[in-house]
Amino acid sequence: MASLKRSNRMKTVGAYAVAFFFLFFGLAPIVWLIITSLKPEHEIVNRTLTYYPHDPILTNYVDIWNQSSFPTLMMNSFITTTMTVVICVVIGTLAAYSFSQYRFPGKHALLIFYLVVRMFPAVLMIIPLFLILRAFGLLDSHLGLALAYTSFLMPLFIWMMKGFFDTVPVELEKAARIDGCTRVGALVRVIMPLVRNGLAATAIFVAIAAWNEYMFALMLTTSSGSRTWPVGLQLMIGEFQLPWGLLAAGGIISIIPVIILFALVQQTMVRGLTAGAVKG
Amino acid sequence: MTDNATRAGLPTTRRFLPRPETWLGHISEHRHWAYFLIVPSILFIFVIILYPTANGIVLSFREMRLTRPDLGTDFVGLRQYADMLSDPVFWVALYNTVKWATAAVLLEFILGFAAALTLNRDLPGMKVIAVLILLPWFLPNVVAGNIWALMLDPRLGVLNDIFVRLGFLSEGMAWLADPDTALWTAVVIEAWHGYPFFALLFLAALKGIPKDHYKAAAVDGAGAIQSFWHITLPAMKMVIAAAVILRVIGLVNSPELLLILTGGGPGNTTQVLSLYAFQTAYLRFDFGYAGALSVVMFIILMAFCILYLRFLRIRD
Repeated sequence: MASLKRSNRMKTVGAYAVAFFFLFFGLAPIVWLIITSLKPEHEIVNRTLTYYPHDPILTNYVDIWNQSSFPTLMMNSFITTTMTVVICVVIGTLAAYSFSQYRFPGKHALLIFYLVVRMFPAVLMIIPLFLILRAFGLLDSHLGLALAYTSFLMPLFIWMMKGFFDTVPVELEKAARIDGCTRVGALVRVIMPLVRNGLAATAIFVAIAAWNEYMFALMLTTSSGSRTWPVGLQLMIGEFQLPWGLLAAGGIISIIPVIILFALVQQTMVRGLTAGAVKG
Repeated sequence: MTDNATRAGLPTTRRFLPRPETWLGHISEHRHWAYFLIVPSILFIFVIILYPTANGIVLSFREMRLTRPDLGTDFVGLRQYADMLSDPVFWVALYNTVKWATAAVLLEFILGFAAALTLNRDLPGMKVIAVLILLPWFLPNVVAGNIWALMLDPRLGVLNDIFVRLGFLSEGMAWLADPDTALWTAVVIEAWHGYPFFALLFLAALKGIPKDHYKAAAVDGAGAIQSFWHITLPAMKMVIAAAVILRVIGLVNSPELLLILTGGGPGNTTQVLSLYAFQTAYLRFDFGYAGALSVVMFIILMAFCILYLRFLRIRD
């Protein structure tokens, strides 16, 4: 009995050791980015590496914000992200609701189709998109980029949102209709409030993906008028040999919204992302 | 078809049919309502995905170089594809794509499974850790790539400093600029960035296995390894299949991380098909050849997916 207890304790210690390894592996690089962002330049390029900032400063943050186009880049990303989310939420929610609550011929095939379109190489779409957007004067515009983002985020949104609608009993619409609601009324007044958290989590998932995207933005934006922050930051690194301290500060600033949004809805988001996994 | 009779069910409810007050409410009572809801998304998919993709395939049979308008945009049949066969970079990129995707999926799979098995233990704190380890997955490639570029810098990088202090290296190494290490270094970075996806799905799948199954197995005298082999793995088969295929698609299709880390260098040792196609379009503006490269990439990916699913005997 005593040995069983000891072997259990060993297992527990082992489990924590592995868990902390993953925690360290995942977070140490991010912590290092924060440390670097707080170091003055002379401490970063120093011959002997310092493992913590000896005199921590915030000048890197002030400088990247005031002396570069970073605020504009962030604003562009914000506008493009918002547009993407709005398009996905309006069109995607309707489709997801239909897929989840109604039965109609061709539904299964359509759902699979929405999954398969995600397999199409982005590069294969990016070239004609470039030509199409150019023809419509949407190249290098917020809307053009948002439309491009919708191409791969809409199917994702519909699948994730369908999972949340699936948790609502089909009888609910019927009940609302008996009480005199139209189908739209039932959706807006009865069902949407029930999937509010799911909608928020799905929208945030799409927002993070749009905020982070790099390749489409690189190809489809050409000026500072619509260039997003990932492209801008990478260009600064390449063109102006951006000092590491400023780069680190820029990186931290731009991932703060991501971390906050994820923290707000993490439980629901994890549930939405893994809905398929649990059902098998 | 979801008409009123089948949706509302009982004939008695017909008396209570709602009286729509708005035009939207009116439309929603139409018997094709379920279709109306999905039409916008279908239109969108057609305009924004199918049309461009079809157009891209057509482009691969044409001459189209934005930098050489004098060449025109005529159809050239299979010339782009013929050029590809004699293009050494294409073959290198193809080989690298296989290496890149295989190594990254393997490493992410192992890390993800190990993390999921550990975090599935019913111990205090594991739930918080399970959320925190997801963080790298949500980071943009631009930040993920540059964090590691910073840590691996030959002069200023903290990892090189640690390796030197521990005596593994005599001096800092340029991991991403050395043809021998560049691809494998990129694989490790990709694994750091991508493995939480596996951990997330596997952990959810593990939690979905009823505990009774393990108890029953224990009663029958099954050890930990036996119950892992006979209960855990079969129960997770579908999730594993789906996770691996989604990840392979992502790894083959997206050149973002390599674009940021190495741009295909040094000497094409990290050049993969998606990156080569993108650079052909973005740097050389040779849209025809870039289209042909991505069509070939797509065909290879499709072939892999079909073979893989057949191998696992999974339909749908």
